[in-house]
Amino acid sequence: MREKALLFDSSTLISFSMNGLFQEIRDLKKAFNGKFIIPQEVREEIIDKPLTSKRFELEALKMQELLEEGVLEMPSSLGIKESIVSEKTQKMLREANDLFYSEKRNVELIGKGEASCLALSKILNEKKIENIIAVDERTTRVLGESPENLIKLLQNKLHTGIKMNKRSMEFVKGFKFIRSTELIYVAYKKGLIKIKKPQILDAMLYALKFKGCAISDEEIEEIKGIK
Amino acid sequence: MVQEKENVLRIFEETKEAIIKEDSFKLNNLSNQTINTASRTQDPDNIATAVVVYSIGKIIERKKYREFPEWNALYKKIISSIDEAIKAIRRGKDKDFKKSIDSLRNYINRLSGKLKEYVQDVFRKAEINKASKIYEHGISLEKTANLLGISMYELALYAGQSKISGVSDGIGLNTRSRVKLAMEFFK
Repeated sequence: MREKALLFDSSTLISFSMNGLFQEIRDLKKAFNGKFIIPQEVREEIIDKPLTSKRFELEALKMQELLEEGVLEMPSSLGIKESIVSEKTQKMLREANDLFYSEKRNVELIGKGEASCLALSKILNEKKIENIIAVDERTTRVLGESPENLIKLLQNKLHTGIKMNKRSMEFVKGFKFIRSTELIYVAYKKGLIKIKKPQILDAMLYALKFKGCAISDEEIEEIKGIK
Repeated sequence: MVQEKENVLRIFEETKEAIIKEDSFKLNNLSNQTINTASRTQDPDNIATAVVVYSIGKIIERKKYREFPEWNALYKKIISSIDEAIKAIRRGKDKDFKKSIDSLRNYINRLSGKLKEYVQDVFRKAEINKASKIYEHGISLEKTANLLGISMYELALYAGQSKISGVSDGIGLNTRSRVKLAMEFFK
């Protein structure tokens, strides 16, 4: 059977974590025939950095526990060296942040953690390991799915002409994305949610939205309406 | 390097007028005027301008702060920092501009008692508010959080409770296809 991996960006784990949905991550992992992977750069954002302050220390400790339990794993569990991911991340960061420019200046869109998920996905594709990236924040997802449409979004918001460096476009293609909302839907359909009240799916989807998942009310209603 | 210097100069000049007139609404508007530039250029000085001007607006708005004994000195420091910033931009001295902003932050850190707590909290909330504006402009969550030196957790929480994340962009995969992708991946 072909190996597969679900790659987690920081934004998705933050949505789960801020809602206390750690058991749901554990249960999803048990139901998944593959690995849940976080690159080192994501680990820094969701565990290492918040451990140095009081405000999100608890969330960081709970994430660390998931890593120690093996629910979340590092790329080395797939035989991929940290140095390879790092190198590819730097390249991805350059290409992605080189993609759009305005008045002869690049518009830098994504950070290292986000770039590391894209980079790792490319590495796994080359190794024929099926993978999807779970990313809740909008920019990375739109960058990977339709960079041409991201121009319109940026132009509307920045009120300035934005141009695209077509040479870099190929580098940001070939990804598949889901969000924490789709993952919680999977958990719900598989009977993994402990609360059995009729409005639980609605509650969980909106809870994820209110903790940062980029999903609209219309999309939530659409998910709820799926038979 | 301070991007769009003429614009930043104008903003600081108008900020000083607005402080004297106690016009916090104007100060909020002035702060928003730097956000487009800050999002595009990600210049730390433009970002600092947005945060400082917004914070000063909030400080001026809160009349109860004037009851603190440190208030008069703080007010004078705000005005003198703005004056220094204006001089620095006019002379093209970017380092001096940065110093003038930093000196205000350092002064606040050296305040004592409740006023220090309140004002530090104002600045922290200003950073989150401005980060949310930059995120709304299309820069990623992580990139934005790093630019403002705040936690991704904090920005995600703020973004989730505002209208930012919830706008349907209508681009990329549609919802049903995304759900189908997830379900099949878990088979």
